[in-house]
Amino acid sequence: MSERIPSYPGTPLKERDFTEGRVLHTWWVPKADYAWDAGVAIGRFLAGLKEGRILGVTCPQCRRVLVPPRMVCEHCFVPTSHWVELPGTGTVKTFSICTVRWDMERLEVPIIPAVIALDGAEAPTGGGGGFMHLLGEVEPTPEAVRIGMRVEPVWRPAAERTAAITDILYFRPLKEG
Amino acid sequence: MGLTERLRRLDEAIAWKGEIPLQNRYTMGLAGERFFREIRDNARLMATHCPNCDYTYLPPRAYCERCFAELTEWVEVPARGTVYAYTVVHQDLDEQPLPRPRLAALIEIEGCDSLFVHCLGEVEPEEVYIGMPVEAVFQEKRQGAITDIAYFRPL
Repeated sequence: MSERIPSYPGTPLKERDFTEGRVLHTWWVPKADYAWDAGVAIGRFLAGLKEGRILGVTCPQCRRVLVPPRMVCEHCFVPTSHWVELPGTGTVKTFSICTVRWDMERLEVPIIPAVIALDGAEAPTGGGGGFMHLLGEVEPTPEAVRIGMRVEPVWRPAAERTAAITDILYFRPLKEG
Repeated sequence: MGLTERLRRLDEAIAWKGEIPLQNRYTMGLAGERFFREIRDNARLMATHCPNCDYTYLPPRAYCERCFAELTEWVEVPARGTVYAYTVVHQDLDEQPLPRPRLAALIEIEGCDSLFVHCLGEVEPEEVYIGMPVEAVFQEKRQGAITDIAYFRPL
């Protein structure tokens, strides 16, 4: 609305028109189950997580280590070649402090999604190369988290792992030495 | 590895299962609101009529689909008609078999030009025929929805 347009045409409805029964409506929750086939590369990667290993794969042309692994290097369009296991430690490349969840729910304690350059998978020529996960055991403030911070993974106990990305609970600041 | 690589361990063949949370609230619109209120409160069918096209809509439309005129002429139509077409349905929306087949039908309501979609009841699938006269059976307790008409039964 503005000074020139005092109201829009149509029939505006407020939430209480529904809750107080002033407007007829139907309510429906569609069933939207899905199963996503992880494929060869991600399937092996997830199986590795269950064993507490972070697996990447190398591109024979540009020599990058891709993690999460892919069957084809998206820069060179050539099939990737060798599997490598990474130590898990890395460096924060960028991060965000989020006070809402993916479905817009407000969070009491903010979460910190970050892109982490894992050791052994840094992009040699710059550009790209990053692993998306959460940071933990660090205050969710711009002062406490910083780009360049060294981090290490915190694993879910082996018995509770389900071959999912959440088998890594989060990455925490690496205690040097 | 590359494109010839195959998974050889079963635990590496992973399908990620999830559920997309969806919710849907549907409002009836101006014409639908009046249509369903009449069904709920008075157990009668109200249609709109276009005087330009001499065409009667049920369910009622607020605008004529043919000449785009706004429709303000409401007429009561009888809750009966004839079967124009029908289908015997054996599966539910999730493709699960139904305990009994259901009958979905297009019904020509008396005095209306459009067709009305609903179910047939109190009739076996082999007894239904095109042109069969039917009437609406209204629920005792009505809440303003299409299910306030339980089904149409042979007249």
